Amino acid sequence: MATLNLNAINKSFGSAKVLHDISLAIEDKEFVVFVGPSGCGKSTLLRIIAGLEESTSGSIVIGGEDVSDAAPVDRGISMVFQSYALYPHLSVYENIAFPLRVQKMEKGEMDARVKRAADILQLTEKLDLKPSQLSGGQRQRVAIGRSIVRNPKVFLFDEPLSNLDAALRGDMRVELSQLHNQLDATMVYVTHDQVEAMTMADRIVVLNGGQVEQFGTPMELYHHPATKFVAGFIGQPNMNFVPATVLETTGALTVELEGGHRMSLPVDTAGVSKGDTVEVGIRPEHVTLAEEGLDITVDVLERLGGVSITYGTIGNGTRFCASLSGDAPIQQGKNMRLSVAPEDCHVFQSNGQVLRRKSAPALVA
Amino acid sequence: MAELSAQASQPAADARSRSMSEGLFGWLLVAPAMIFIAVIVAWPLAETIRLSFMEAGLGGEKFVGLENYEDLADSRKFHQTVVRTFYWMFLSVGIKLVMGLIGATLLNAAVPGRALFRVLVMPPWVIPMAIGCIGWLWLYNGYFGVLSGVMMKLGITDGPFEFLAYKSSAFYSAVVTDVWVGTPMVTLFFLAAMQGVSRDLYEAAWVDGAGRWYRFRRITIPQIMPVIVSMALLSAIFTFNSFEIIWILTEGGPRGATTTLIIDTYKVAIGNYKFGEGAARAVIIVVLLAAFSLIYLFFLNKINKRYGVK
Repeated sequence: MATLNLNAINKSFGSAKVLHDISLAIEDKEFVVFVGPSGCGKSTLLRIIAGLEESTSGSIVIGGEDVSDAAPVDRGISMVFQSYALYPHLSVYENIAFPLRVQKMEKGEMDARVKRAADILQLTEKLDLKPSQLSGGQRQRVAIGRSIVRNPKVFLFDEPLSNLDAALRGDMRVELSQLHNQLDATMVYVTHDQVEAMTMADRIVVLNGGQVEQFGTPMELYHHPATKFVAGFIGQPNMNFVPATVLETTGALTVELEGGHRMSLPVDTAGVSKGDTVEVGIRPEHVTLAEEGLDITVDVLERLGGVSITYGTIGNGTRFCASLSGDAPIQQGKNMRLSVAPEDCHVFQSNGQVLRRKSAPALVA
Repeated sequence: MAELSAQASQPAADARSRSMSEGLFGWLLVAPAMIFIAVIVAWPLAETIRLSFMEAGLGGEKFVGLENYEDLADSRKFHQTVVRTFYWMFLSVGIKLVMGLIGATLLNAAVPGRALFRVLVMPPWVIPMAIGCIGWLWLYNGYFGVLSGVMMKLGITDGPFEFLAYKSSAFYSAVVTDVWVGTPMVTLFFLAAMQGVSRDLYEAAWVDGAGRWYRFRRITIPQIMPVIVSMALLSAIFTFNSFEIIWILTEGGPRGATTTLIIDTYKVAIGNYKFGEGAARAVIIVVLLAAFSLIYLFFLNKINKRYGVK
């Protein structure tokens, strides 16, 4: 297994620049997830690592070896595609054995490797079937099997779960995490689904517009988002952003939120001055019902049993979502008051950069 | 109890009468198509079969039983024609398939201007066959033709060479023209099939280290195999019955060198007014092609199963 280093990767398609100076150091045996909205360049970046796409500039180092100009097969990577890319005319066995047949591997060794992969992926019973006779989850496993048999240094996954239904996706997430532990391999995984990123990753790379917004552990991203984009992308339901005016910058940052509520927030105030407009980020799960606080009109109420999700408006119509206890005494169409602890709030400048929080929960590994 | 069963049978009777009228309605809907097929396929076929048992000419008809078929069974010339027809078919179809594969692969390659090349493939197919063949007639001409001229310039022949004047060269010249006419369709069908193959399959194979030839052999060919087989069958039927090309180039000559079954049938039935003997030949063509198609469909089915096509 190996480390993976990307050094100043740039990629342009004609005049359109899709990746800007991407540099990442991925450690041995790490499970790294590239996440971002469609068109953010995450799949292109993965394809550049695989060698399916050439970068315009920059270098790729796998296990200490510069592979920027190497053919895909010589990079020590294997890739699982979103469409599974199984050969419909070949049996499960032959699909898994395909890379070994290309290498003209000796039959006994090939057979052993295919059987071991099938065993790990619980496909032993299915080896004689054709892909068309398998379920979506099984097909995905065959695709993974094909990448396992090559013993690659780095596994690449391109949105491998997006063709599965929600329930199966949950199961496969667990299976992939187990597989990662079992194989002890470096894995790079691309998804647009932040839940997959949060649940599986050792570290997450959030990409936006071809740039790395932040690279950190899931909990770092959750508690210390570097930008408004990351804050809005990570967490479910999404973080609320309430416009506010800066009243005071000495000591804590005192602001007046849209709707008139005033708060004193324990964040670094360098770079902001009195009268500036900022946005206060409040996670839906960090608010509680209170006598005093933010005044919200509840438009939609979703009672999910354990929690109640409310969607409403604050001040001049800014959308606000709150996640409250399942039996919270609220009604659709009525107003409610919510309080939030100042240390749970995030503050973003107009350029999207965060003001560092002075007190934040200790990070769990 | 009796009441109960009487009640129970009531809906069943309703359903029966409804299905009767539905059945009738169904027949009514397919009737136009069936009448159409009866008029243009079934009746002429039946009439041809009837004629094949007759000695029929402009003067009248006389029942002769199997005499026409017996004559054909004994005729060495006819045997040669059958062999020649199959040779003509296999040779021409084989070349068309190989050229089609090569052409489609080239047209499918990501090269600049490929749209233009795709358009340039079309003319042999889209210009009227007769006009194309007359063009070839001139190409093959010994005194005015380009081919003969070039061969003379290169010193391959001493003087003008009439391609269509000699048995062997006439046959292969006709094959070349038939390939020219038939290849575009094959190419375009193969191209369409190749474009339907998921790019991911190639990329996955590329990541696994499969080279171009390996990918072509183990992905492209199996993936388009059902289309290859279908095109082989279609193309075989067209080529077997290819009439205009041979007729315009050689009229089956010289000395029968390019006479295939369909040419022979035409010459006998229409040229010599021997309708009965012609009909017997036509029936043999139908039987041969039907047998050929059945064998093909059997293989097609097998191949479709093998390559995971439903």
